[in-house]
Amino acid sequence: MKGTYLGEFEELVLLSVGILFDDAYGLAIVDELEKQTGRNVMMSSVHKSLVRLEEKGYLKSQLGGATASRGGRDKRLYTLTQAGKKVLSDSREMRNDMWKQIPKIVWEGGKI
Amino acid sequence: MKTSQHNDKPMPPKWAMRFFYWYCNDHLADAVIGDLFELYSRRYTKLGKRKADILFIWNVIQFLQPFAIRKKSNTPLNHLAMFQNNFKIAWRTMTRQKMYTAIKIGGFALGLATCILISLFIKHEVSYDKNYKNGENIYRVYNEMAGSDGGKWTSFPASVAQILKTDYPEVEKSGRLIPYNWFNAGNNLIRREDQVENTYEEKFAYADQDLIEILQIPLIYGNLKQALAKPNTIVISKRKADKYFPNENPVGKSLVLNEDKSKLFTIGGVMEDFPISSHLQYDFLITLTGVEFWPGEQTSWCCWNYNVYIKIRPDANAADLEKKFLSMKDRYYVSYLKETSNQSIEDVKKYHKFHLQPVSDIHLKSDGIYDEIPHGDIRYIWLFGGIACFILLLACINFINLSTAKSANRAKEVGLRKVVGSVRGYLIRQFLTESLFYSFVSFAFALMLVFLVMPYFNLLAGKTLLIPWTAWWFFPLLILAAVIVGVLAGVYPSFYLSSFKPIDVLKGSISKGSRSSKLRSAMVVFQFTTSIILIIGTFVIYRQMNYILNTKVGFDKEQVIMIQGANTLDKKQITFKNELLKLANVENVTISQYFPVDGTKRDQNQFWRDGKSKEEKGVGTQKWYVDADYLKTMGMTLKEGRNFIPEMASDSQAAIINEAMAKALNLKKPVGERIMNWETYNVIGVVDDFHFESLKGEIRPLCMVLGTWGNIVSVKVSTDNMNSVINAITKTWNTFMPTQPIRYTFLDESYARMYDDVQRMGNIFACFALLAIIVACLGLFALSAYMVEQRNKEISIRLVLGASINSIFKLLTQNFVKLVLLSFVIAAPIAWFMMHKWLEDYVYKTKITWDIFVISGVISVMIALLTVSYQSIRAALANPANSLRSE
Repeated sequence: MKGTYLGEFEELVLLSVGILFDDAYGLAIVDELEKQTGRNVMMSSVHKSLVRLEEKGYLKSQLGGATASRGGRDKRLYTLTQAGKKVLSDSREMRNDMWKQIPKIVWEGGKI
Repeated sequence: MKTSQHNDKPMPPKWAMRFFYWYCNDHLADAVIGDLFELYSRRYTKLGKRKADILFIWNVIQFLQPFAIRKKSNTPLNHLAMFQNNFKIAWRTMTRQKMYTAIKIGGFALGLATCILISLFIKHEVSYDKNYKNGENIYRVYNEMAGSDGGKWTSFPASVAQILKTDYPEVEKSGRLIPYNWFNAGNNLIRREDQVENTYEEKFAYADQDLIEILQIPLIYGNLKQALAKPNTIVISKRKADKYFPNENPVGKSLVLNEDKSKLFTIGGVMEDFPISSHLQYDFLITLTGVEFWPGEQTSWCCWNYNVYIKIRPDANAADLEKKFLSMKDRYYVSYLKETSNQSIEDVKKYHKFHLQPVSDIHLKSDGIYDEIPHGDIRYIWLFGGIACFILLLACINFINLSTAKSANRAKEVGLRKVVGSVRGYLIRQFLTESLFYSFVSFAFALMLVFLVMPYFNLLAGKTLLIPWTAWWFFPLLILAAVIVGVLAGVYPSFYLSSFKPIDVLKGSISKGSRSSKLRSAMVVFQFTTSIILIIGTFVIYRQMNYILNTKVGFDKEQVIMIQGANTLDKKQITFKNELLKLANVENVTISQYFPVDGTKRDQNQFWRDGKSKEEKGVGTQKWYVDADYLKTMGMTLKEGRNFIPEMASDSQAAIINEAMAKALNLKKPVGERIMNWETYNVIGVVDDFHFESLKGEIRPLCMVLGTWGNIVSVKVSTDNMNSVINAITKTWNTFMPTQPIRYTFLDESYARMYDDVQRMGNIFACFALLAIIVACLGLFALSAYMVEQRNKEISIRLVLGASINSIFKLLTQNFVKLVLLSFVIAAPIAWFMMHKWLEDYVYKTKITWDIFVISGVISVMIALLTVSYQSIRAALANPANSLRSE
């Protein structure tokens, strides 16, 4: 289990990589996460997750896309691997499964 | 912001970036810095440079996490081999440049040795009185008189110890001590009851049974609970027990003090010798049980002669207790003052306070508390510690200076190593290994030096320090210190040396070591500033000592022999005196207990003008019993009036006062006036003020009255052959006292001994100054040698073109002389300020005159010049062909 376990933040990062598609690099992911979740996101934690996700095989990366505002430095561009896509959909399926199991009464009654 | 901004392109702090590249692994480094850069330029326009900078730095710090940090190099490196290689290179460089190596290590070793010595000294000083059982509950009580003519002192009336115990439940035990020359406290002649030969012994004190229980003095023989409980008991130290009662248990045996067979002292116990780190240093503790020095002495509040130590309950608060003690003042002291209608009653009510001083503070923190116990001074601890650090710093500076100056020689090596594939880290490690190597070698030398110098240091500091070879912490601490110092001294050179770009170096375009010449100059200035301050300090202290020894003290201290312990002559004193007067070269003889040097008797009396004791405040006065020959023997001069005439019966009520007393009593025409304490005296003369106490304070009132008895016979002689006179005196003495060996001192020596601390301070400063200047000169010498080496070709060409030796010499030395002069300009005001502060301790003091500064300045310039000139002259005299030929 340990190897495939996906933390909440990691999942969000994976999703952002998917959303950004061909321009998924550190800062863009930070921006995306802040936009989507409204949270304050630390750059270092994003990079940390990216490194770990790459180690787990959910992401792969290459360098490219240097601009002047980056001081001429390359970005590390991330893309989802097959395994990455699978883990995302697995996670969504599991959630859906669990959603379905919540009895209706919970939503309607409201009082316990 | 995306457009290219050429000049004001936002740039995050460079060092932060460099730091990031240093720790971050290559996988992330560029990408992350790129991200951060982008973020930075965004913030730059929004928040401004300052905030953006701070946030950037914060981001860099946030990345300090395992995932981002560079992993250990995975290139297989044989670390041991690398280390061996570093070691080998270090050894080779060391042996190749013997002079520089010697200077580096020598300077280092000197600095380190000083540091080790001073550290041991400081460690000893702060270790005083730390080892008592429940020491945190033991306090010494002292008085404070606030207000203008106030002071702090430790003596109390005899009854106070008892009062503290009975009136204040917080006080568990309280014990008294008489630590100064008073009755049998101080020094005595002593013998076993069953022997006849008397021996002179010092270090006697009176103590209570409670005191030895408070301090838990370990006993070898006897019972701590009873050792001093009975009257006329005495506790002696182990070393004295071994001396008088070798191989036996002396408890219960008796000692005779000063041939007084009517009062034998029974030994109640043998105590361990007091450790050297105790503020109490006694060999004989005489009990205070049953002691009453005169009728009513034990209950009266008249006379304050006892030091009081208390042990409080663990739950009691010392600060609260101090306040509670004030009730004792009202209950006993004030009522005593009322009874005697003393005028100082208002002052006492208002200003008199009691304080508790933790026993462990006594040695170092008793500044301003008058207790007649020799102690250290926390200020000197700071001062010495500071100086030690400075000297170590000087030594480190030498190391740094030489390493960077010689960098040109290593530049090729660095360049080549880099070309062959070494990264900066390896080079830094190499140079650090080198400096650590130096550091360890220096430490070894320093330790040897400390070992050799220790006896002299002990002599100088008046201590008995040992090198704690066997203490568990000693060597680990030394090794730790060696590593720290090695890294400290090596870190700058190693970064500097490893920063060379191989291409510059190999092309030969590197400016040879001149890059940091400003820094080197600053360091030389620092070294010489320190040295000059110490030189000036030394001069001022010696000046003051000279002033003390040669100032007119109001009496003639030359050629006066003081025969001590003459009290045992008893009724034969006058005959003895007359016999001495018959000897050749003996001019005058006087018998008294009071002399104007330390170690003779002192007392404290209140004097009034006759009949005014109820109206006026008394004047604290020394009342000295002297004979009619005293003034003549001591060479004191009468300002007015006449000397005592023993034949005149009325002179038994006559007094000669000093000028200070006439002034204090406000006597316009002192001669003929009457003064009183418990008796009334006619003033028949006024003696010129003479110093009978330390020159640190004003001369205080003093009054002499006629007495015939004393324990010191002072002989004024006039001779070129002191030995023969002393022989004659000894012979006379032996006919009188065959069982007691003569003991004599010289007045001038006793006087000088009062200022031992000044002398000591001067010597210590002189040593420091010498050390600092040696270290600084070593550095300067090496620097000048290096400079000459660098400019060898230039000098040769100048010589070929016709420069005179003179001009070459000037060229090479003027820079250094300028630096020394600059140091002098910096040092002079600092030194003036410091020495001015030091002299404030003295009422009678020498002036800090300009010539001290001139002499110090000239000396330092001369020394610097001499140091540099050897190399300069050698360069100037060298045959230019030699250096130009090769190439």
